[in-house]
Amino acid sequence: MPFTRINGKMVEAAVFPGQQLFSQRGAMIAYTGDVTFKPNLMGGQGGVMSMIGRRVANEDTPLMTVEGRGSVLFGHGGHHVHLIDLAGDTLYVEADRLLAFEGSLQQSTMFMGAQGGVMGIVRGQVTGQGLFTTKLTGHGSVAVMAHGGVIELPIAQGQPVHVDPQAYVAHRGDVRNKLSTALGWRDMIGRGSGEAFQLELSGQGTVYVQASEEKL
Amino acid sequence: MSYPPQQPYGQSPYGQQPPHPQQPYSAQQYQQSYQPTQPGIPMPPMPPAPPTAPTPQPGGNGPVVYDAHSLPVNDNVNPYAFSVDLNGPYYLQKGKMIAYYGDIRFSGIGRGAIDRLLEQNFNSPLHAADWVVAEGRGRLLLADRAFDLNSYDLENGNLTVRSGNLLAFEPTLALKQSIIPGFLTLIGTGKFVAASNGPVHFVEPPIRVDPQALVGWADCPAPCHHYDHSYLHGVIGGIRHLTGLGGASGEEHQFEFIGAGQVLLQSSEKLMAERSVGQVDAEEGVPGGGVPQQPGHGGQQLPNIPGLGNLGDLGRRFGL
Amino acid sequence: MPRGRHDRYIRPVAQFRLQGSRVLAVDMAGDSVKARNGSMVAYTGQMNFKKLTGGGDGLRGMVARRLTGEQMTVMEAKGQGTCYFADQATEVNLVRLNGEALYVEADNLLCTEATLHTGTSFTGLNGMASGNGLFTTKVEGTGWAALTSNGPAIILRVTQGTPLRVDPGAYVAHTGNLSRHLKSGAGWTTLIGEGGGEAMQVEFTGEGLVYVQPSEKATFGGDV
Repeated sequence: MPFTRINGKMVEAAVFPGQQLFSQRGAMIAYTGDVTFKPNLMGGQGGVMSMIGRRVANEDTPLMTVEGRGSVLFGHGGHHVHLIDLAGDTLYVEADRLLAFEGSLQQSTMFMGAQGGVMGIVRGQVTGQGLFTTKLTGHGSVAVMAHGGVIELPIAQGQPVHVDPQAYVAHRGDVRNKLSTALGWRDMIGRGSGEAFQLELSGQGTVYVQASEEKL
Repeated sequence: MSYPPQQPYGQSPYGQQPPHPQQPYSAQQYQQSYQPTQPGIPMPPMPPAPPTAPTPQPGGNGPVVYDAHSLPVNDNVNPYAFSVDLNGPYYLQKGKMIAYYGDIRFSGIGRGAIDRLLEQNFNSPLHAADWVVAEGRGRLLLADRAFDLNSYDLENGNLTVRSGNLLAFEPTLALKQSIIPGFLTLIGTGKFVAASNGPVHFVEPPIRVDPQALVGWADCPAPCHHYDHSYLHGVIGGIRHLTGLGGASGEEHQFEFIGAGQVLLQSSEKLMAERSVGQVDAEEGVPGGGVPQQPGHGGQQLPNIPGLGNLGDLGRRFGL
Repeated sequence: MPRGRHDRYIRPVAQFRLQGSRVLAVDMAGDSVKARNGSMVAYTGQMNFKKLTGGGDGLRGMVARRLTGEQMTVMEAKGQGTCYFADQATEVNLVRLNGEALYVEADNLLCTEATLHTGTSFTGLNGMASGNGLFTTKVEGTGWAALTSNGPAIILRVTQGTPLRVDPGAYVAHTGNLSRHLKSGAGWTTLIGEGGGEAMQVEFTGEGLVYVQPSEKATFGGDV
């Protein structure tokens, strides 16, 4: 894996010829060697339409392609960085939480409809933002940002996890999710947006939750 | 003291680190366990714990309770707070004291009887309004908005640090304005305390650094600007510039360090508040950094406004 | 609403533990805790949340809150399972109370066991300096309380003969028999009007513990 944790807010990535990295724009802290940073005209691997889709969907987090030979330090906005290794499974994460990930991962921008929509539903219904989220599949590592670090909560059969949509970071595995308005939570409508909603995640997998209700 | 400087949280050295004959400074790290250090001086016996002391926490040893004697001597209490064993004058930025024991007076700089002493330490009157002198005896706790704090020992050395990051220094050090706007240089022998957003990471040149992530540097020559030409040239670059499609990489401009020394990085690109050093900050992260002062010019824009090419000054500079 | 020392032997007791340094995990088996409204980040099992008007302190507490303008709205979390609480990535500090009182800034109280009684007490000093209102939250009883602080709280002991002075913006909480006095930093009078600095300090005398955070809230004493 090309990422090495330097401290809670910084990761180092080794860059080799032929092994692309993608990173969020402006996330480079420093680099040595012969490394180039190119804005991703094609909007990641999803093509131009995907990029335009993102712009329309306001999920506009331009990515940089990082290539060459050397070593790069990544960090952003004082947020904590969490490394996630994928071994053939799928990670669903909001695009603006992606700090960097390996080019070996298949990236797609997903329209989050009624099925499987996490932030899509939440954003659409609660905050009125875009309906797209990023899906990463394959073998490789992902560096994800979170406010205040993340805790990992396992999801197992018969043991669903309920998450505050504002604190939701990402999830992986075979997980179904639905937005619910829990009885009793109606009492809280009127104090803070989105507090009345919970995400219920069930199935088999892991959900990553940050120690804050603050969105990135 | 060891070299390379100890790195918090078990950081691995970045890049190749050739052996260095002299050790100009070291980052004094807080103790791993955060156990209070006992000063070597005789002290009155500790009073018995009052009955209100919290009982141990589950699964832990319970919270550490400090008192006037058990607070660390010139060391970190935790990654975010630094305890000064005050015995004489000490300079600190306004508002960084969070608590103290003992008999300590704070006075503004530029007023009062100690002005003559100050002349040795402050060579830039512009800074004086931001600083106070603490005098007396006691333990003084410093902190800055829960940013990470580190102390540095200079031995007849010099270290240049971003003005907003410097918190406190001993009067044996002289504080001067760096030739790089927005930075201060400390010269001499003594200890100072600097804050950073996230732990400080030490790297050795050659390296190119995002301006906003730069905390400071020691010994090596002042950095120069580096612009990414390859990014700006060619058809794609032109399209990018004209349409804004594809955006800027956000990494067209770095500070380049060469030579022998150490570069201090903070692990975040979120800038700490700049302290005025009498210069206009022309660009975020690059205070007065050679950007032409033209109103409405691209160089004044924040580097990551979505949807804009953000080439700004660079595009003009390279004729795109 | 039943509460207090009499039923704590009957009811199962919620288990407070830290998940990392910024998330509080509470294991519950049918019992309840009081937490800052909206601080739940996740839960497993069956959990019900109820907003408590006036902090669940009855009419008197409610009136006190109205008067004081303390804005901490409280919810009750009750159920079976584990509930996770966090607040804006601040550090969580666990405090065990054995019958004594904990005085805490309302902003810094995250969660309390149902066996603890929370009320509002007049304190004057710190509130005046930090703009938090003139009242402080008082937590009493036997059980666990979770405080938040910007950066891990440092616990400082005050004894007879070793008073402690604290920046009002760094003050989080205190226990014990302490009295507080607002002091202006000696020699600082010349600087007031230039942006403050350590112009105002709170002096603690007596016997007790003071919790300070390595950070300073904005105070109207100036930019600190």
